Amino acid sequence: MIEVEDLVKEFDGFRALNGISFKVNEGEVFAFLGPNGAGKTTTVNILTTLLKPTSGRAYVAGYDVVRNAKDVRRKIGVVFQDPSLDRDLTAYENLLIHAGVYGIEKPDIKWALEFVGLWEFRNKVVRFFSGGMQRRLEIARALLHEPEVLFLDEPTLGLDPQTRAKIWELIDSLDVTVFLTTHYMDEAERLADRVAIIDRGRIIAIGSVEELKRMVGGDLIFLRVEGKFEGIEHVVLPDGRIMIEVKNATEFIPELFELAKAKGFRIVEIEYRRPTLNDVFLQLTGREIRNGEDDSLKFAIARRFRR
Amino acid sequence: MRPFTTMVYRQLKRFVRARSRLIGSIANSVVWLVFFGVGFSGFVKNYLSFLAPGIFIMAVFNYSVFSGMSVIWDKEFGFLKEVLVAPSSRKEVIAGRIFGDSLVSIAQGLLILILSFGLVRMNPLGIPPATFFGFAVALCFSSMGVVIALKMKSMEGFHAIMSVLILPTIFLSGALFPIKYMPAWMRVIAYLNPMTYAVDGARFFLTGIGEIGATFDFLAISIVSVVSILLATISFERTGLE
Repeated sequence: MIEVEDLVKEFDGFRALNGISFKVNEGEVFAFLGPNGAGKTTTVNILTTLLKPTSGRAYVAGYDVVRNAKDVRRKIGVVFQDPSLDRDLTAYENLLIHAGVYGIEKPDIKWALEFVGLWEFRNKVVRFFSGGMQRRLEIARALLHEPEVLFLDEPTLGLDPQTRAKIWELIDSLDVTVFLTTHYMDEAERLADRVAIIDRGRIIAIGSVEELKRMVGGDLIFLRVEGKFEGIEHVVLPDGRIMIEVKNATEFIPELFELAKAKGFRIVEIEYRRPTLNDVFLQLTGREIRNGEDDSLKFAIARRFRR
Repeated sequence: MRPFTTMVYRQLKRFVRARSRLIGSIANSVVWLVFFGVGFSGFVKNYLSFLAPGIFIMAVFNYSVFSGMSVIWDKEFGFLKEVLVAPSSRKEVIAGRIFGDSLVSIAQGLLILILSFGLVRMNPLGIPPATFFGFAVALCFSSMGVVIALKMKSMEGFHAIMSVLILPTIFLSGALFPIKYMPAWMRVIAYLNPMTYAVDGARFFLTGIGEIGATFDFLAISIVSVVSILLATISFERTGLE
């Protein structure tokens, strides 16, 4: 449904996308996971015909996004990262205008609003909608012209946990191909059939969540020690913690304490967990996806105040 | 609905929702007409009948520049992207928007004009041709506003451009005082100002006072309006995110 070959995008000499290639199959939910500034939105903007790539090719629903931009536009629905609703108009009017701009003869607005659970609020002005309601309305709008591919750019950015869960349920119930970007690993784990991990304009890993986790291998143990840690293959994280990858953490931890006794270091903190997508990212880049979190919070606050 | 009618509908709806804006802009014109016009009439005889057609065009001008440039809000608040990913003709979308804004502008102008009939004696038969001139001004300046807004990178530039453009355009249009008393250099600018022809044309049909000639007024404002709309559609067609 989506085919991308060696896509490059430069802005004034800065390479936002550094030659990415991937395929999205029909009917699947495909997530682009990566920190802020990794190139996620740039990819969405190219695939939705808003930006032209510097080089490389991209096809959506069988059409070239540069040469057949109009055909691509007919086949896609887009929910942008920033809200793009008419805040002075009602939910119903927003969809009516969308239908008109898309030239739909008989739009099924009732179906779209019922699907996202907003039919009873159809005559309410969008200005008075909560963040989650606005996002649901945008999803309804993006589905109104029955697209083959739905693009969701950070669909739950800035939303509270309950609202996020509701949006996730909504995305689960869709039966179109979904391309979504996120920097929340739990979101990618929860929703995606396949995930591409993107960092600094490159795809560093791609596959199902299970496949990606298998790249890490077994469980992960994180510890903080006093003294010199040695004797086991490990990674030292930027915050000074030591990360060890083992098959079975519960069996391995006692051995670790024996090792500490033998080698003469002291364990001051220990934690283990099943690998998450964040660990995959950590393994591949030495950094955490979450490093960008502060920025996104600031961004979400700025977005609120702007209105 | 077609994209064109849809956008007309959108602009009308948005206007109806923002009632405070309507009251604000009407109040502005009334202030000019009463405090400036009536006040000045003691100084210059029959000034109010000279001024009233000027205020009518000015009211249309003010709202249309503002609404055209409000594309910058669409840019800022995302509606522009929604239009840019739509498969329909962008020319049709922006033409619909400009037409819708112009309808709102002329409606406001006409309200002012009717109010000013209460203060000044003017020829009611002049209303239809004056409406034409007003509508042409609306199309012209809504389009120019769109062109400027699409060129602008940020909201900061918005107020700067508004204040640099709006007052000189009004002062150099003959709306407040006749062009013939301006020094030659200033008159040259006034002749380059499309609003001048609309003011002169509307004033001629409403009060019989004219400096340029109605036929020339008609041709000049019509041509400039058509060219402005074309410019706006072309620049909207070429708009991307970069």
